[in-house]
Amino acid sequence: MFITFALITLLGAVGMLLQKNVIVAGLCLVAAFFGVAGLFVLLANPVAAALQVIVYTGAIMVLVLFVIMMLNSHEEEKAQAAHPIQRWVSVALIAALAIGAVKLVLASPGLKALAISGAAVPQAMTLQKVGFTLFADHLLGFEVAGLLLLAAMVGAVALTKRNL
Amino acid sequence: MGVIVKKVELGWLDRTYVWPVMKGMAITFGHFIRNLFTTTAKRYTIQYPDMKKEIPAGYRGLHELKRFEDGAIKCVACYMCQEACPARCISIEAEEFSDLNITQGFEEKRPAKFSIDMLRCIYCGMCEEACPKDAIWLRNDYEVAAYDRLSMKYGKWDLMNTYAEADGKDRITEDTTPTVPRRTIVM
Amino acid sequence: MDMLASLLHMTPAIFWMVVKVVIVFSAIMLLASVWTWVERRGSAMIQDRIGPNRAAIFGKIRIIGLAQLLADGIKFFFKEDLVPEEANKGLFWLAPFLAFVPALIGFAVIPFGKSFVSGGVTYYLSVLDPGNGMGLLYPLAIGGMAVYGVLLAAWSSNNKWSILGGMRAAAAMVSYEIGMSLAVVTIFMTTGGYDPAEVIRAQGHLPWAWNIVHQPLGFIVFFTCMFAETNRLPFDFAEGESEIVAGFNTEYGSMKFSLLALAEYSHLMTASALVATLYFGGWQVPFVQNPTVMLSVASFLLKMLFFAWVFVWIRWTLPRFRYDQLMHLGWKVMLPLSMANLVFHAWRMSQGH
Repeated sequence: MFITFALITLLGAVGMLLQKNVIVAGLCLVAAFFGVAGLFVLLANPVAAALQVIVYTGAIMVLVLFVIMMLNSHEEEKAQAAHPIQRWVSVALIAALAIGAVKLVLASPGLKALAISGAAVPQAMTLQKVGFTLFADHLLGFEVAGLLLLAAMVGAVALTKRNL
Repeated sequence: MGVIVKKVELGWLDRTYVWPVMKGMAITFGHFIRNLFTTTAKRYTIQYPDMKKEIPAGYRGLHELKRFEDGAIKCVACYMCQEACPARCISIEAEEFSDLNITQGFEEKRPAKFSIDMLRCIYCGMCEEACPKDAIWLRNDYEVAAYDRLSMKYGKWDLMNTYAEADGKDRITEDTTPTVPRRTIVM
Repeated sequence: MDMLASLLHMTPAIFWMVVKVVIVFSAIMLLASVWTWVERRGSAMIQDRIGPNRAAIFGKIRIIGLAQLLADGIKFFFKEDLVPEEANKGLFWLAPFLAFVPALIGFAVIPFGKSFVSGGVTYYLSVLDPGNGMGLLYPLAIGGMAVYGVLLAAWSSNNKWSILGGMRAAAAMVSYEIGMSLAVVTIFMTTGGYDPAEVIRAQGHLPWAWNIVHQPLGFIVFFTCMFAETNRLPFDFAEGESEIVAGFNTEYGSMKFSLLALAEYSHLMTASALVATLYFGGWQVPFVQNPTVMLSVASFLLKMLFFAWVFVWIRWTLPRFRYDQLMHLGWKVMLPLSMANLVFHAWRMSQGH
């Protein structure tokens, strides 16, 4: 199951990068989102999976596709030929990042505990637990994030609407 | 003349939009229930091939070339209808004939060919208006259809027999020799 | 019932699952296709017409126009399957399926009857057993997916009217989803759980304990948003046949069109099942404490079909909104209303009700 969902995610992401057609690229991204949602379910966190689908595929990608349709560019833009040095530098950077990430994961205490005690059956996440975590344990962070988003929204409205 | 448009002020109940929607739904549901208990035969719809509309007098349907009691055509081929026709669908060829019983020689006129292209005809009734002899009538048959264009071109005999069955007359396929001089018949 | 139960004991659990899936999805598809007939006959009655009644099997059996369904099906099967020259072929093929599948699988978590115990095993009458952790978030998520079918159908046809329809659908969906979600969240809050089985249990069997009585405002918001979500008539912007030809399905014909139409009606069925579950006590039978399984299924079906009928009924009562009116209603009326509903019930709960 893990392999299936991981493959869906990766293929979706790669497809999104390689696809010239914007709408098809968007669909590939949706597939990747679904793969991630599947991985969440495997991690015994169906709430995160549902929220992932609702927020990302249900709202954000729809809006992105909406904007693409509004601009309605049927012709694909020609990609600028990348400088060879740019390409090599980016590849090197990504490789370094990937190695760092893998090293971090392998060195994490959680993984060591897993190796010693074996995989415990994780308790399923429920909406109630998410609520407690958000509004009891991390209330300050939640409120700050809310304030920040509100400020961003007000700023966006102020920027786009000339005469309020 | 000016028309005073009354501006409707909506009350708060109407502004909620929920109450008017419910009123509308009550109206539509009333119609639904009423129709649920009426048989289809009694509803407004006329189910065409089974039921037919009663055609009012003066309806302009398929044409008929009228005939006298003895079966002779009333038309005198004066071309008035052909001239009056805005769709130019009537074409007439005239011929002379004689009332052999009374006179000798050719002195009467009648159409040798009289054709109406029903595909072009707009059923305006101008031919009927123009006819000095009341020889062409537009009557109540509206089911004019055919599988090909050629059969929509009605000839003289088709036009004379269009209402033969409906009126209980014989179909005629050739000109009868008149028994009475035409000029003696009062129109 | 006992015989059925003894049959169940002999078979593995997977068989029960397969049976549920087959029964539920074929029932929805059947109901959806029957509902096209209900829509046509019902609209005819509302408008003092007769509706389709000429189609007949062997030229005789008319069964009040039901044969029309069969005729339509056969016609759709044998029509030429046209794909426009300039269309994006792959997406054009994919779109009807993307519209149809979410409309159908949204039903999966909704319990359509009382669970029963047989041979020490509890059998739940919903495709996904309760306690799956997704609960009512699942239909919301799937409902959000449904717009992709419309969007892709619109974009891949490469037609101005289609794209207009698709864009309208996308915008309407996004703006109404928020109000709808807040209305559902209020129910989560008052119930204290988000599993449909819990929601139904919390409502009980007395009609005045159902959510419709406690949250009429939430019901109005949710029901209105469902119209926008299913693209039904007062908010029929994706199709809008008097404005943009036929909207997203302008270029569609034959089986692909019928799939899109079927998707619309399946979506309608799922939406009415959701309304019945959330606000009208799901499978609960009014005034009956412990209904039998069959009775509960019948009760649920009755409620669901009633709301499906209300969808049809409203469609033939109200004219289409203007697009700016839709946006106005969505953002400036529905969202504050559902917000007020949420805050009011939060306050009420804090007062210890």
